[in-house]
Amino acid sequence: MTTTSTSGRKLGKQAVLYAILVLVLLWTLVPILWMILSSFKPGTAQLSPTPVFFFAPTFQHYAALFTGGNLGSYFLNSVLAAGISTIIAVTLGCLAGYGLARSHFRGKQHVAFWIISTRMAPIAAVVLPLFILFRYVNLLDSLPGLIVAYLTFNLPFAIWIMNAFFADLPPSLEEAAMVDGASRFQAFYRVALPLVTPGLVTTAILCLVFSWNDYAFAATFAGPSSQTLPIAAAQLNTQTGLSWGQLTAIGTIVVLPMMIVGLAVRRYLVRGLTLGAVTGE
Amino acid sequence: MAATQTDRDAKKSGGGGLSLEMKMLLPVLALLAVLSLFPFFYIIWMSLNTVSLINGISFEFAGLANWARMFTDEVVGAAWARAALYFVATVGIEMVLGIAIALLIHELVWGKNLVLSLILLPMFMAPVIVGLLGRFLTDSSYGLYAFVLRETGIFESDILGTSSSALTAVILMDVWEWTPLVVLIVLAGLASVNQYVIEAAKVDGANYLARLRHIVAPSIAGVVIVALLVRSMDAIRYFDIITVTTNGGPGNTTKIIPIRLYETAFRFFDLGYAAAIGLGMLVFSILVATVFVRILERRGLAK
Repeated sequence: MTTTSTSGRKLGKQAVLYAILVLVLLWTLVPILWMILSSFKPGTAQLSPTPVFFFAPTFQHYAALFTGGNLGSYFLNSVLAAGISTIIAVTLGCLAGYGLARSHFRGKQHVAFWIISTRMAPIAAVVLPLFILFRYVNLLDSLPGLIVAYLTFNLPFAIWIMNAFFADLPPSLEEAAMVDGASRFQAFYRVALPLVTPGLVTTAILCLVFSWNDYAFAATFAGPSSQTLPIAAAQLNTQTGLSWGQLTAIGTIVVLPMMIVGLAVRRYLVRGLTLGAVTGE
Repeated sequence: MAATQTDRDAKKSGGGGLSLEMKMLLPVLALLAVLSLFPFFYIIWMSLNTVSLINGISFEFAGLANWARMFTDEVVGAAWARAALYFVATVGIEMVLGIAIALLIHELVWGKNLVLSLILLPMFMAPVIVGLLGRFLTDSSYGLYAFVLRETGIFESDILGTSSSALTAVILMDVWEWTPLVVLIVLAGLASVNQYVIEAAKVDGANYLARLRHIVAPSIAGVVIVALLVRSMDAIRYFDIITVTTNGGPGNTTKIIPIRLYETAFRFFDLGYAAAIGLGMLVFSILVATVFVRILERRGLAK
């Protein structure tokens, strides 16, 4: 008798919880779903003063972006700038993160502070000196310029996070490998590195997301030959007299890949996004 | 075994001076110095000059003129004040909502992972797309949210074009995108709360609020502070949403300090002055970083 009433109360409590969370999910998902839905809407339904939910879907906006809008080259620029800066940041971040985690020297906390404050520096304040310096060395409007710009935040991030992941490993594993005849580098490469694979993948994905999503650096440095997708999206809005169809289409293209790769490493995200301060599940 | 031990010690102390750890660390730090310290000293130098971009780049030493001007400039002062308001509102709402939503999700019996995954989606989006999507939703002719607000009689003017609503709208866009991050961080904290203590408190008759106050709150306090710091540093880092929605308008109501810096530099081409403003912002983020590293040290994570 008492057990049924408690479980009944529990059930009621869960029902209230789900009801509130449905509201939270509506607030979260309606804009995203509306964007995706609108990207398949024909122009007439797009310009209706009342929202249209049912229509014959069309790919015309996506097609227009690729044929008239030069989207292919922007897409390639985004992939190259974000991808190459990620690869460089993660490779160097692994080496330096391991070095930092396994070494003890005076002033180490100052080095750590320097690395983290580099990552935290306001973008507006970083863009400014880089703009002048890039002008001197001819890096404006070039992919290498964007890659260097993205390294200013991806490199300190990768060093810092990889340091946190390596610091978690007991050094005894590497010591045991060296007793068995491995060199110091082999102990790093064959023993420590494979053990931090989840951390490595998470770091890479977060670097990719940060640079893929960048607007401020590309808006300042990139020109016609190095334009990325976010810039193309923002310019669509001002140049062609507001084509919401194309805008929602390019938005969908920018957003979906990052959602997929982001959720793929969900378990480790909290570690990466708190710069190592909070460990997940 | 003893032989390998001495062998290793020999390698560590001798063998070219530097240990492998240092050989891995130092070249990368040298690169980071080029990427970070060089621009840092350069922006200090810029702030001491009048920088012009006409006919190439020219520097004219101006001493502390930019700095003196900044401390008396009412427009910059107002932009800082607005940034403070924007900052307190976005981060404040995100913290309260994020903690509340995390507490709800934590109690779920079924579908916890699915709900969390869906709630996280906005934070993977490019902020510039969030801003453009916000414009789309609030567009006075075709926007879904503008339509709903108009039909329900809650708000009928142009949302981003009206001073009173524009600031609220850009704040809510930021809240929409970044509350999920707070949810994620707080949930990680909740997962580490000792379940036995919770069960014992239940047996002793403590209700949910009492357990929240005396057990859960103290054990997630550290994680909540981390969430607060992470959000604080990003709140001043990014300005993409405002750039593509109102760009500071209407009538300067959304012109927070990074927007002011950007227009000083790239619209008025007053780069020396912008550098002084930028250093002011840098001081803020260095303060955040200082607190952050203290907390990491206290939690034993910055070994």
